[in-house]
Formats: sequence, C-alpha cells, structure tokens
Amino acid sequence: MEQKAPLGMKRAGKMRVFSRPRFTLVVAPLLLLTILAVLPLFGPGPNIIRLLFVTFVWVTVSVAWNILGGFGGQVSFGFAVFYGLGAFTAALAINGGVNPVLSFLLAGSVALLASLLVGLPTFRLKGPYFAIATIGVSEAVRVVMTNFSLTGGASGYRIMETGAFHQLQHFYTALALAVVAVAVSILVRRSNLGLALIAIREDEEAASDLGVNPFRVKLLAHALAAALTGAAGGVYARYAAFIHPQGVFAFYIGVAILLMPIIGGVGTIWGPVIGAVVYGLVHEELIASFPQFHLLLYGSLLILIILFEPGGVVGLLDKSFRILARARGTSGSHP
Amino acid sequence: MTNCLEHNFRKRYSVSFGLLLFAVLILVLPGCGKGKTGTNEIAIGVVLPISGREAKPGQYQREGIELAIHQINQSGGILVKQLGKKLPVKEVFYDDGSDQAKSAGLVERAMSSDNVVAVLGGYSTALGEAESVMPDRYQTPWITTGSAATTIFSRGYQYIFGTLSPTDLLGYTTAEFLGSLVDHGKLKKGLKLALALENTDHGVDYGKGIDKWIQQHPGYFRVVFSEKFELGSTDFSGLLQKVKNARADIFLADAHLQDYITMHRQYIQTGTYHQMISYGARGPEADARKALGDATNYIFAGIWWSDKLPYPQVKRFVADYQGFTGHPPDSWYPATAYDAMRALATAIEQAGGLDKTAIRDQLRTVELKDSLLPGQVLRFGKNGQINTPFVIVQNKPTAKVDIVYPPEAATGEAIAPKPH
Amino acid sequence: MSAVDLLNLLVAAFLLAGVYAAMSVGMTIIYGVMKIVNLAHAGFLMLGAYFVYELYVRFGIDPLVGVALAFPVFFFIGMAVHWLLIRRIPPSDQPTLTSLLLLFGLWLVLQNLGYLIWGNADRAILTPRTLSMLGVGPISFPTVRLVVFAVAVTSLGGLEFVLHKTWFGRAVRALMQNRDAGRIVGVNVERTARVAFGVGIAFAGAAGGLLAMLFSFSPDFGGPFLLRAFVIIVLGGLESFAGVAVGALILALVETFSILVLPANYQPAIAFSLLVVALVVLPDGVAGLWNKRHRWA
Repeated sequence: MEQKAPLGMKRAGKMRVFSRPRFTLVVAPLLLLTILAVLPLFGPGPNIIRLLFVTFVWVTVSVAWNILGGFGGQVSFGFAVFYGLGAFTAALAINGGVNPVLSFLLAGSVALLASLLVGLPTFRLKGPYFAIATIGVSEAVRVVMTNFSLTGGASGYRIMETGAFHQLQHFYTALALAVVAVAVSILVRRSNLGLALIAIREDEEAASDLGVNPFRVKLLAHALAAALTGAAGGVYARYAAFIHPQGVFAFYIGVAILLMPIIGGVGTIWGPVIGAVVYGLVHEELIASFPQFHLLLYGSLLILIILFEPGGVVGLLDKSFRILARARGTSGSHP
Repeated sequence: MTNCLEHNFRKRYSVSFGLLLFAVLILVLPGCGKGKTGTNEIAIGVVLPISGREAKPGQYQREGIELAIHQINQSGGILVKQLGKKLPVKEVFYDDGSDQAKSAGLVERAMSSDNVVAVLGGYSTALGEAESVMPDRYQTPWITTGSAATTIFSRGYQYIFGTLSPTDLLGYTTAEFLGSLVDHGKLKKGLKLALALENTDHGVDYGKGIDKWIQQHPGYFRVVFSEKFELGSTDFSGLLQKVKNARADIFLADAHLQDYITMHRQYIQTGTYHQMISYGARGPEADARKALGDATNYIFAGIWWSDKLPYPQVKRFVADYQGFTGHPPDSWYPATAYDAMRALATAIEQAGGLDKTAIRDQLRTVELKDSLLPGQVLRFGKNGQINTPFVIVQNKPTAKVDIVYPPEAATGEAIAPKPH
Repeated sequence: MSAVDLLNLLVAAFLLAGVYAAMSVGMTIIYGVMKIVNLAHAGFLMLGAYFVYELYVRFGIDPLVGVALAFPVFFFIGMAVHWLLIRRIPPSDQPTLTSLLLLFGLWLVLQNLGYLIWGNADRAILTPRTLSMLGVGPISFPTVRLVVFAVAVTSLGGLEFVLHKTWFGRAVRALMQNRDAGRIVGVNVERTARVAFGVGIAFAGAAGGLLAMLFSFSPDFGGPFLLRAFVIIVLGGLESFAGVAVGALILALVETFSILVLPANYQPAIAFSLLVVALVVLPDGVAGLWNKRHRWA
C-alpha cells in the first residue's frame, strides 16, 4: 500500500510555509496581536477600548492562574489576594511618584512575596483542602485590608495622577502584559517546570518518586502566577484610579479568575485566553443588560463543563474537529 | 502517529485563534465609527443601582430624576439659545447593580461614548467615590444625588457636584438637636453616648461631626464607646453586646438601610435601653416600619429632606411624585435627585449651548430659588457640594413621622427620653 | 466586665454552638460517606432560610413548624440533586476537585435562583418570639435563641439515634470507615449514598431555617456560614459527629469572647483565620488529637 504522506506535506505544493506546527504557534498569534495593536487606528471608540483593556487584564490573570491550576492542578480560590495586593501596591507607588511601569513591577513583586507566605503553609495540603484553605485566606485578607488604615481602610484608595488621561496608554500596557503572560505560559509549558507541574497534577506521589520536589515546584509556579496577577491588579488600579478592598479583594474576583480558564479549557495555553475573552466581553456587554443572570450562567457552565467536557471550549473544539475529520474521512484521525 | 497529533494540534490552535479573532471583531466592529447622536435632544446619563443592595434607594432616586425630566419635557424641553429652540431631555440610564467597578465603568461609558452632556448618579458613598474619578477625566459634569462623603469633594476635582450636604454636618446637627433637648430640660446634662459607625467615609464623617459639636459645647455629652462595623454584616450581636456593656445613655449609629434593620432587630433582642436612639440618616423608611413594627418608634434620624417640610413646592412635589409613581416619596431619596436634575436643566439653559465645560461653569453659579431642600435655596459650594441644613425627624407611634428639629420646620414635639 | 456579663456571654456562646453544630452536621455526613466537600451547602442553607420565611409570611406557619417541614422537603431535594448530578461523579476515597467544582457551580446556580425569586434585599423573620427575652436569674437572653438551640440539639440527638440504632445509620457509619469493606458486608453503596446525601441536605435546609430565625438573610447569606461549617468540621476531625459538637463549641466560644479583645469590624476574619490555622496545624482535627493521645496510652 502506498504510504500516505504526512498531512503536512500534502499541502507542500501550495503553501509550504503553512506546513509546520510552528505556523500556528508563531504566525497566527502574531497576526492576532498585530490586529489588536492596530485596532485603535480604526476609531472604535473609548468604550470598546475600555472593554478590550478589561479583557486584557482578565487574560493576564486567567493565564497566570492556569500556570498553577491548569498545569499543576492546584485549584486556588484565593487569587484575589494577589490581584488586590498588586492593585494597592501600584496605587501607593504611583501616588508616591514612582514611574507607573516600575509600580507594576513592584506590584508583581509584592504579590510574589505574598504567594510565598500563602503557599508555605498551604501547599502541604492536598487538593480540595488546599482549595478550601485559599478561600479562608482570601476572605481573611479582605477583612484585614478593609480595616487597614494605611490604604484608606473601608474608604478605599484614590490614585491622583497629574497630567491628562491617555486611554490608549493603558490599552497598550494591558496588551503588553497579556502578551508577557501568554509568553510566560508557553515557556513554562515547554520547560522542565511545566513537565514537573503536569506530573504533579497527574500523580503527586509518583512525581516525587521520580525526583520532582512537589513543594518547591508548586511554590515556584504559585510565585509566577501571583506576580503576573499582581501586575495585572496594578494595571487595573491605575485605570480605575479608585480601588476599594471590598472590590479588588472580593471573593467573586477569585471565583472569576478561576472560572475563566476552566471555561476556556484548563491546562491548555489558549484555553485561558478564550475563557478570559468570553468572560471579559460577554460579562461586560451582554450580561450588563441582564445582571440578574450571570451567576446562573457561570454556575451552569461550570456544572456542564465538569460533567461533560472538562476540557472547556478548547476541549469542545478538539472533539468537534475529530468528528468533522472522521466525517470527511481524511487522515486527520489515525486509522 | 505524530502526523495526526500535529494535525489536531494545529487545527485546534488555528481554530482557537480564529475564535478569538471572531469574538473580538464581532464585538468591536459594530462600535467602530459610531456616529454622533442627533442634535435634536439633550442626552443626560443616569447611573444608579436598581438591583443589588442599594436597589430601593436607587430606584427612588431614579424616579425623582425621571419626574423632573418628565416635567421639563412636558413644557417642550430645555431652551438652547445657540440653536434657537427647545430640546427635549433624553435619559440614558444604566443600572450599576450596587457594584463599584461596574458603576465607574458605566459612568465612563456614558461620558465617553454616549454623548451625554452630564451624568447624574452615585448612590451611595462607595459608588460615588468610584464614579468621581471619571468627570475630570472626560471633562463632563457629574452631579451625585446620593453621596455625601467630603473626601469626594476635597480632591480638587473640577467637574463634580453633589446635592447632598456633607455627612459631618449630619453628625453635627444630630448632636445639636440632642443639645437643644438638654436646653429644654428634656434630657439631663452630661449624658454618655455610645457610637456605632459604619466602616466607610460616611461613618467617619458622622463621627467627626458629633465630636466637633461636643468639643464646641463642653459639658453636654461624653462619648464613652465608639466602634466601627462592617457594612452588610448579618450579625451585630457582638458589637451590640459591647454597646450594652458600655452602659451609655444614648445610642447613635450610622448605617445603611439594610444594616439599620438588622442591627435594630438584634438591638431589641439584647434588651438594652437607651434614652435616645438614632441610626444616622435612616429611621423613617417604610421598609423598616414593615420589618420591625413598633420597635421603630421614637427612633430619630437626620435626613436631607422630609416630605413634611412646610414649603408649597414640597407639597406640589409630593403630589406630583405620587401621581407619577403611584406611591408616596420614601424618606429623602427622590428629592435630592429631583432637584439635581432641575439644577442641571437650569445650568444648561443658562449656558446657552451644549458645551460641557460651559454647563459646568454655570453649575458653579446656578441658584435654585424654589428648591425642595431645607432652606429653599440650592447652590453648590466652591468644592461642588451643597451645604443645606438637615432636618431631624422622629418616628411616632402608629407609623407617624414628625419633623422635630429645627424648630422653624417642626411639625411635632420631640419625645425624649424614649418611653420604656 | 462583671461576672454576670461573662456568664451572659458564656450562655450566648453555648446557644450559638448548638445552631452551629446543626449547621455543620449536614456537611459531615456527606463528606464522610462520599468524600465530597459540599460547597453547595451554603446554597441549601439559603434555600432553607427562604423556605421557612415564605411559609411564615404567606401561610402564617410558625417558623419552628417550618423548620420541621424543611427536613422532609429538603431530604427529597437532596436525593433529587444526587440523582441528577452527584451520582455522575466518579466515586473516590479521597475528595476530588471534580466534586468540589461541581458543587461550587451548583452553589452559584442556587444563589442566582435566590436573586431571581427574592431579589437582593435582606429579609428577616419577625415573630412575637423574636423580640422577647427570657431571664434566668441574672442571666438574660433572647427567647428565640433558646428555642433554636433546643431544636438544633433535638435534631442532632435524632441523628445520633438514627446512626446508632438503625440499619441505615450503621450502613452510613460503615461507609464512612471504609467504603469497600462496607460493600463487602452487604451495604448497598449507591442507595446509602443517595439517602445520606438527602439527609445531609435535609439538615442544611433545616439549619438554614433555624439561622433565619436568628439573623437576617439574603441570597448570599450562605457564604459566611459555609466557612464556619468548614472550620467546625475541620476542627472536629472531618468524620466524627462528636467532633462536630466540639468544633462548634470551640468556634462559638472564640467568636463570642473575641469581641472583648477585637474591634467588631475584625470579627469576620476570625472564622477565616481559624479555618486556615485548623487546616494547617490540625489536619485531623481535635478528634485526631484525642485519638492520637489515646493510641499512645
């Protein structure tokens, strides 16, 4: 029987450059990025820019959470802590005259330190107990920060910046941060750290038998995730110019950060991005018209995903592709 | 084997991107090149909570604004000299669900994309604070109808206004009222106060106002207990136990409507007695009377407006409001909103055109001589906030509410001390 | 503080502990039999509160009767939820994230149902009993707290009876100890699990009704109590019913007496901090400490 040429080569005659997976990993994302970067030139209006800004922030935290929760399987409900700490750190720094970009770096660092404080005691706990402990930590921090006078306590904290407001500046900062987050995610996934995380997710004991130090790996992933989340909190804080502990440390923020990757496809690279886009755009636009339904939507989505398609949107795509390929009878499905 | 893995891998990713691109485009493109709304109406943004914790007061404030708009449009609209004709007012309404971040985002949206000339909103303090960042950013005037915290107005913002007198004046007036009871022999001198303040700027200001009066009038009262509580708690029994232990004569709390109801219910359960009780700006609300019945008797409150004020314009407003909404005005909520809209309309007319900065300039000098508010004159102070006096009302048996202070506006006698 | 005040606080703590125990026992049953951390417990607390409220406000049924009615109603609701959702979760000897997230999703759905039906405003159950006080010597406390305590303790006693004197109860305890061994000795795991889930939800609903008699409630009312339930069962050792009572007592005492040293606005943080401490320091709970001590004896 004539050996079937690998699918890639089939198209070699027409477009050789598209025959490598590298295309999808390099060209397509760059295309998307370019489109987003030049979008403001088409005059989409401040509201759309704001929407995209918020989406980029969500993409960052979603991808960040996925590093620990998706690759590593450690479900944390407590990422609002890092988001909020990042927000307040950046706010304090900017008010103190520090350059905004440095403030965001500072925000990420503070969040990173916090992640160590949280992780050291809690990573000894297994799965669900870790998740529950993070709920406790998140809420305790919220109550303490609501009473912390240095940051205004329950009055909230205001950033007073001199100079005009340039919405596009915030837009590009958030876009850059989101790109960094995705890049980090890809790098982690392809590194030994990523392999270690996946091993821990699949079977922690076996992984440690093979020489992986679960405790250290989890701490490292947690630190990366927290740093990105903290920076995102800082970026958001600068835009909103007024932050409040009941807002940035709210339990529902931690929930949202967790929901986005799960909806999109936990454990994949682009799943969290899709989930964040869905959450960011849908949440802001459509659900704003029906505020009464959003918990119902997310709860049902979560239930359906857990029961029927744990791979989220990406998983669904995979399945539909396999069905399509089988229907077309191509070599997409290996005989 | 690798081929099909590659294939699926590739397909999955390319579709993921396609999806992302599609999602972004589908939601972004319609927004591109949004045309200006026609110049045959004046768009006013209104951002208030009609769902969430603050839904009830938010709804009442919305009704006040809509009544004002209705009346303005009935007479043809606002005269815009530059265009030589009257233009009707169009309300662009958003429900912020009592959520701060949403509130700020919606105000931003109204100001940047909906072509409004001004925005009314911000109930209550927390939402108002979040929103207050936007007016200067987009150089659009903003009038808050439900936030009284002085911190909003002390930042040097140039485009913000508020139709609520500052909360520290509320605290001051409360203490002043109690002082007047002492002067009239109803209460003894040197009584002890226990304060329970909500953990917000509102509570802080209230406490400051009380302290200021006490310091200016030594010998009248002594604060023996003062603590903050978190808004929205379901259980105040710990705090109330401490209040009970403080053995004070007068209990003054500053709370929002929900917390007032919760706290007072648990207060009754502790079996404590105080000669006078107040929950700040809450007291006569119908919801509280429904939930607690006679337990709300003799509670007094300092509020920004009462439907019992003896001005003809108040009587007219109450009748109009009842006709427009089908229910009587609840506490002070609709009045500050109604007058805010009227002041805005006057400022727009005086500006002669729809330039937002010109309207802002007019707001700085506008004077509403038939205001519903105590004193009958509405004028924004230099920092944008008005400074009208408060009235003290007291709940009387069988659902009656009397204005008991200041004496010029009083409709009944203050009952002090509270009967056991 | 005088001795009378301290005594008052002590009584208040005890009364609270009773309700807390009733509130947590539902989670313990479900966790023990199925190793599922029931985050939707909060949602059922909330539904129980509204159930009793509606019965009272619409039909004038005394809340205590409402609580009694909540038991059978929520029992069937629990069994229905198990049949619909829970039985699709692969069984396991260890709590899984799958079950955690599934029940979390259910909690979100229940919360939203609450908003849709009843709106966001706080409700409260107001009966003549609510505002009356009882005095025993120098100590006084609200009547309603004593009544709620009595009902809570009675229902816990009933549960103890069921667990020790009925076949079902013994089956439950067997499954809690070792699922496979239970199967070997003839316990129908599926059916017992379903009934146990029903009982767990029944207690959640009834406890919600009891809590509604003490506190005001809104659709997200379950959250803080859920966390307290966690603290209690973790302190108590996760699988021991006596442990639940001990855990409830500890939490109630800490909460009640902490107001003496902490300002009121920090009080919510106590339960949360205690949770983290308990999870980290006492993974086997107080009962575990007790067992350890006895093992060495």
